Amino acid sequence: MTSATPAPLAADAPRSARGTGLDRAFEAICFGAATFLLVALGGLIVSLAVGGWPAFAHFGLGFLTSAEWDPVQEIYGAAGAVAGTLITASLALLFALPLALGVAIFLVELCPAPLRRPIGTAVELLAGIPSIVYGMWGLFVFAPWFAKHIQVPLMMSAKPGTIWEAITTGVPNGSGILSASLILAIMILPFMAATLRELFLTIPPQVRESAYGLGSTTFEVIRKVSLPYVRTGAIGAVMLGLGRALGETMAVTFIIGNAHGFPNSLFASGSTIASTIANEFAEATGVLHTSSLIALGLVLFIITFTVLALARVLIGRQANL
Amino acid sequence: MNAQTDTQPETAVLDLPPETVKLAIRDLNFFYGAKQSLFDVNVSFAANAVTALIGPSGCGKSTLLRTLNRMYSLYPGQRATGEVLLDGEDILGPRVNVAALRARIGMVFQKPTPFPMSIFDNVAYGVRLYEKMSKPDLANRVEESLRRAALWDEVKDKLKESGLGLSGGQQQRLCVARGIAVKPEILLLDEPASALDPISTARLEETIAALKSEYTVVIVTHNMGQAARLSDHTGFMYLGKLVEFGETEQLFTNPVTTRARDYITGRFG
Repeated sequence: MTSATPAPLAADAPRSARGTGLDRAFEAICFGAATFLLVALGGLIVSLAVGGWPAFAHFGLGFLTSAEWDPVQEIYGAAGAVAGTLITASLALLFALPLALGVAIFLVELCPAPLRRPIGTAVELLAGIPSIVYGMWGLFVFAPWFAKHIQVPLMMSAKPGTIWEAITTGVPNGSGILSASLILAIMILPFMAATLRELFLTIPPQVRESAYGLGSTTFEVIRKVSLPYVRTGAIGAVMLGLGRALGETMAVTFIIGNAHGFPNSLFASGSTIASTIANEFAEATGVLHTSSLIALGLVLFIITFTVLALARVLIGRQANL
Repeated sequence: MNAQTDTQPETAVLDLPPETVKLAIRDLNFFYGAKQSLFDVNVSFAANAVTALIGPSGCGKSTLLRTLNRMYSLYPGQRATGEVLLDGEDILGPRVNVAALRARIGMVFQKPTPFPMSIFDNVAYGVRLYEKMSKPDLANRVEESLRRAALWDEVKDKLKESGLGLSGGQQQRLCVARGIAVKPEILLLDEPASALDPISTARLEETIAALKSEYTVVIVTHNMGQAARLSDHTGFMYLGKLVEFGETEQLFTNPVTTRARDYITGRFG
C-alpha cells in the first residue's frame, strides 16, 4: 500500500471498472423511473383521448358548447358540467382567499408564540381530512343549516322581477351551486392558508424589520411590503387551491344536487365534471355515454393541467426573484 | 503584568456633558426569554456625532441597537428593563407609540433590505407614511435623499425600476436613502458594510461621515478600522456588558481597561 505509483486512471483498472459499471446501472434505474412516470402520464392522456373520441366525433364542437345532457336520448353536451365546475371553483376561491390570507397573516404576524405551532399544525391537519367526510358533513349538517339560515332569508329578501330574485331561486333544501362552493371553500381553505403561511415565512425578517423601522404599523407592513413580496407566489398558491377545487369529487357530489344543464341561480342544483362522472360511470351502458364521460374527464384534465401549469410558472418566477 | 491588571479598572465609561447628549441609556438589561444578554448598560450617545459599538460576536452590540428603536418589541419573549431616554423621554415605557418612535429613529441593517417596489417608491415609502406632500416636493425629497446616500447619479435614470435589480452596494445605499428620507433624528446602522465590497464600503463611509452634521449616528461594526475612521466616540462591549466607552482616539490609542486593550491589540476577539 506504500507503493509510490499513482492510482490507475485507465478505464480497465479493477476499481474504476466496477465503480463505473455500478454508476451506469444506477443512472439507468433513475432514468427508468423518470421515464416510467412520463410514459404513464402520456398513456393516460392517450387513453382519455381515445376513449373520448367517439363522443367528440359524434357531437363535434357541440360537445363543448351544448349544455344538454340526456342519457335517455343519448345527447351529451359538456357545457353544463364545465360551467358548474368553473363556477363552483371560482366562488370557492372567492370565499376562501380572504379567509386564507387572514389565517396566514394571523399565524405569521399576530399569533402569540405559544399558539403558533399548535394552530399551524391544526391548519395543516385540516388540509388532510378526506373529502368524503366534508361531503357527509355538508349534506347532513351544513345543508339543513344553510337552507334555514341563509337560503330562505335570502330568497325572502328578493323583490319579484329583480336580478336578485333570479339568482336566488331554487329549492330551499340547502343543496346547490352555492352550498357546493362553500363546502369547497372550507376544503381548500386550510391548504391555501398553509401555503400562504409558508410564503410569508420566506420574507426575510430584516425586510419586515426595515418596514417597521421606518415607522410602519403592522397593517402597513403587511399591505405595502409583505403582500407585494409574496404576490406572485400567492397567485401560485391560489392556483393550486383552484386546481384542487376543480377536481374535487365526493364532497361536491354529495351537495351540489346533481342536476344536468346550465345552473341558472346560486341555489339551483347543478353538476360539475367530477360529480357527473362519479354519478354516472357505473350506470353508463352505451358506447356514447361512456365515451362522453371519458371525454368529460379529458376536458377536466386539460382545465386542471392549465391551471397547475400556470401556477408552476408563477411560483418559479417568485423563486427567481 | 499582574500588577498592571490590578491597577486597571474593570470598566471605564466616559460621561458626556449633558447638553450634548441625544440618547441616554440607564441601567439597561435585556432578556431573550430567560437568557439575559445585556447587563446594566449605562452610557450616553452625543447628538450630531457618530458613536461606534465594537466587540466580539455575541457581545450584545446589535441587541443594544435593537433596544434603541424598540425593534425587539416585535418579538414576544424579548424584553428590556431600565431606561432609554431620547431627549429626556423614556422610550421603553408602555405608553410609547412605537411606530412614531421608529420614524424618529431610522435603522439600516447588515444585509440590504430593499422593498419589492420601484427605487423611487422605496425611498418615498416612509415619507408617505408620515407626511402629506405634493408630488414635486416628494420628488425633491427622494432626490435629496438619494444624493445624500451617494446613489443619485447611478439611479436617476431608472427610478421606476425595481429596487431589487440594483447591486448589493447600491441596495445598501438605497436603504440608507430610505432611512434618511423620513428625516429621523437618529440613524442606527447595524454592520451596514459587512456585505459590501471595499469600494461600496468606502462610498458608504463617506455617506455616513457626511450625515453626522444633521444626525446622531450609532454604528455597530466588526471592522475596527471603520470604527476608528468614522466615529467620535466608541463603546467596547464584551459578554453583554459595556466595558469601555470614550473618545474614539483615546480608546484606540490608549484604552483604560485590559479587555479593551486586549481586543484592540488583537490579543483576543
